[in-house]
Amino acid sequence: MNGKPYEIAIEPHMLLIEVLRGQLGLTGTKCSCGMGNCGACTVLIDGKATLSCLTLALTAQGKNITTIEGLAEGIKLHPLQKAFIDYGAIQCGYCTPGMILSAKALLDNNPNPTREEVKEALSGNLCRCTGYVKIVDAVLAAAQEMREANK
Amino acid sequence: MSQEFAVVGKRIRQPDGAAKATGVAQYASDINLPGMLIGKVLRSPYPHAKIKKIDTSRAENLPGVAAVLTPQDIAQWQPFDRGLKDLPMIAGGYIVPAEEHILNERARHFGDAVAAVAATNEHTAQEALELIEVEYEQLPFVIEAEEAMKPGAPQISDVAPGNIGKHMSYLFPEGDVRKALEEADCVVEGTFSTTKQEHCTAETAAAVANLDISGRLRVWSQCQLAHLARRELAHIFNMPVSRIELITPFIGGSFGQRGSVCAEPVAIALALKTGKPVKVVYTREENFIALESRTGFKHNVKMGFKKDGTLTAIEVYMLGRLGGYMGCGPMASTIGMIFGLGHYRCPNKAGEADMVMTNTPVSGAFRGFGNPALMWGIEQLVDEAAEKLGMDPLEIRLKNIKKTGETSGMGPPIESTYLDDCIKRGALAIGWKEKRGKKKEGTIRRGTGMATMTHCSGAAPLYLDHSNAFIKLNEDGSADLTVHPAPVGQHIWGALSQIAAEELGLHADDIHIVTGNTDITLFEYGSDASRSTYAVGNAVLTAAHQAKRQILERAADTLGVAADELEIKDREVYLMTDPRKRISVADVCYDAIYNFKGECLNISGKYSWEGRYSSPPTGAFFAEVEVNIETGRVKVIKFVTAIDCGKAINPMSVEGQLEGSMQQGIGYGLTEDYIINKDSGAVVSDNYDSYKMPGILDMPQSEIVIIDEPDPKGPFGAKGVGEPGMVGVAPAIANAIYDAIGVRIKDLPITPEKILKALKEGNQ
Repeated sequence: MNGKPYEIAIEPHMLLIEVLRGQLGLTGTKCSCGMGNCGACTVLIDGKATLSCLTLALTAQGKNITTIEGLAEGIKLHPLQKAFIDYGAIQCGYCTPGMILSAKALLDNNPNPTREEVKEALSGNLCRCTGYVKIVDAVLAAAQEMREANK
Repeated sequence: MSQEFAVVGKRIRQPDGAAKATGVAQYASDINLPGMLIGKVLRSPYPHAKIKKIDTSRAENLPGVAAVLTPQDIAQWQPFDRGLKDLPMIAGGYIVPAEEHILNERARHFGDAVAAVAATNEHTAQEALELIEVEYEQLPFVIEAEEAMKPGAPQISDVAPGNIGKHMSYLFPEGDVRKALEEADCVVEGTFSTTKQEHCTAETAAAVANLDISGRLRVWSQCQLAHLARRELAHIFNMPVSRIELITPFIGGSFGQRGSVCAEPVAIALALKTGKPVKVVYTREENFIALESRTGFKHNVKMGFKKDGTLTAIEVYMLGRLGGYMGCGPMASTIGMIFGLGHYRCPNKAGEADMVMTNTPVSGAFRGFGNPALMWGIEQLVDEAAEKLGMDPLEIRLKNIKKTGETSGMGPPIESTYLDDCIKRGALAIGWKEKRGKKKEGTIRRGTGMATMTHCSGAAPLYLDHSNAFIKLNEDGSADLTVHPAPVGQHIWGALSQIAAEELGLHADDIHIVTGNTDITLFEYGSDASRSTYAVGNAVLTAAHQAKRQILERAADTLGVAADELEIKDREVYLMTDPRKRISVADVCYDAIYNFKGECLNISGKYSWEGRYSSPPTGAFFAEVEVNIETGRVKVIKFVTAIDCGKAINPMSVEGQLEGSMQQGIGYGLTEDYIINKDSGAVVSDNYDSYKMPGILDMPQSEIVIIDEPDPKGPFGAKGVGEPGMVGVAPAIANAIYDAIGVRIKDLPITPEKILKALKEGNQ
């Protein structure tokens, strides 16, 4: 979990989101629709964007899970987090963790996406505040910053 | 003419951005307290039913269950009106009867609360709900407003004979409408219907209540009107206001829905019964059925014009569906008429509305509050009139829109309006001249349409409008600004810090926002009616101005000059005639606290702002659509919103509000349909698989045009912008569809089925 091993006892019916938000106290992962329609609960499991409200916690055993709490290094924000702030891509902020993690899954595999590819990658994440425009701008800006940092 | 600003008008980052981007920000649903229980509500599966018998014994015996409440267990607490609009300073003496209980013996709508449990965890609470045995007596029910008005229809409320919850009349009727319509050269008329759009806030309704050992109640509430919520909760639970500490955490969206009390009463009831902290988080399905959503209307509009396009008469009748309780639904009609009938210059106008109780989930306020509903009809009819008169839709509007100084929809003279600029610049941005009215061929046909609107910057002078701000300067020249607007995602903390910083000659990040706790904040009406930047901003501006006077007076003493000769810029007080003579704000503040000669002073300012006017924001909306005449599918290709919201305090935030409104407007126009099964009364569309709100791939290419001309009354020229962007989206799309395929859809949402049907019938 975010680079650290955790040993916890859970009940077999528990969903990953319940364990994250409950036992682990990682409330950055949000529940919005509870049935896999909106993407707010997105986390990365072995780098893949995954809906934690549809994932049994047991199935995540032994895997690398990244939640929004795992992105910043101390107070140094991930380029995506920084870009979301800089571009005004955050309004109420409730969909933001899921949005950022879906975007991270994209950029980790495709560092130079087109606007259309960003939209495609975020098409499972619903936002009611922003109209998505600034979210796409932010992801593209973060992608550029990450490419430049990797040069 | 525009003033030079140091901070205002800049695209600053939001103070809460990092907390939200890292998952640290706490929302009500994130609050976890030691020993906290999870509360859940049992909801009626019937639209109208009496509880004959309720057996809670099995639920109570389930290990982990701390309390099970039925309507009898909450009898000592007061019924309430969730809409919070029962205020003395309301035009037309608007009183809503308090008829809703925390739990109700007679369920008046599908999803009405009938019992509640608190348990150690969510699974147990859910299981306990399933163990409650309720024997219902199903009662006859009525879903549609027209049916509910018929003699013999099931009666829903004792105080609403004939199910008429409220009859509302337009507040500013003028002239003789009937005569004017008879004399008009061109009369257009239509019946239009609008939907019960759901807010789809990202966070569902949530509240946490904790009673401490001294008997004080701490409540985490998402309410947009925190102080009004505290007042209502104190009333419900027979408590003095001082015993409630209401905390506003981050709010995961509201759009008017959290203008009411939502999960707070049941969370408090469970906390008082168990003596333990209780959290209640609604499911998405509960959000759809238990909260207020947009008031749906059927309305008839008649408009009369002269040959030259001058509007001479407008008459409307609105029929609104309130649901099982009145909430703030009735006001949606008044607000709709204020803006709809007040938008264009017109000497003869009249409007009436019947707001009808039905056995459906409650209706209330949603971004635009009645304005989008009535403009859906009016803006289509204006296009019809333009066509009949052989005018361009732009031309007929430019002829009839009001100018600065004319009477606004709210009553007072319009402080400023640049709607003509919005129309002209928006038309350029969409390519109106090149695209509009071109011949259409083939399966996929393009069209271009537009609409306009006026809205408000706060509810004054018709409704209560009262904000307070307190600002104190620290010894290093930074400032703490105490205010209590609701942080619903509108970047309000950033905007208020820009206003304070501009006035004080500081940087925006020198201003720290102290907020979100009624123990600390002064009275704040709250965040609705597009008022926070304007009304709270005006309170902040005057409070900051007072503090600035104190800084200048102290600096004047030190520098040996007169205070009026000084100005502050970039954290330094300087002599305007000789800027080398200067002292830092930090030194002035430090000396006043630690190193004073004469009187000590914590430099500060406090102001109570009473709204007496509301500068109307105006806007023009332009849609370019593609309609597939074989499938009926409509795709919005491009959308332009041109807004006159005064001076944009932060253009990035203004764009964000308008882009978000565009998404909601496109949903309202095309896809969002709140479906109730007419046979069972059940809500069919209760999650995003059955209720389609636009996703990222449904959004068009978009452009926001900000006119950016300052208003004389707004803080640094700002007007409201929270709601306006929603108002004209759907009619602009409808008008574009007409341009594309020559049929007019009058019922929302514009589904492919309706398009195909209209094409088949060759329209009316």
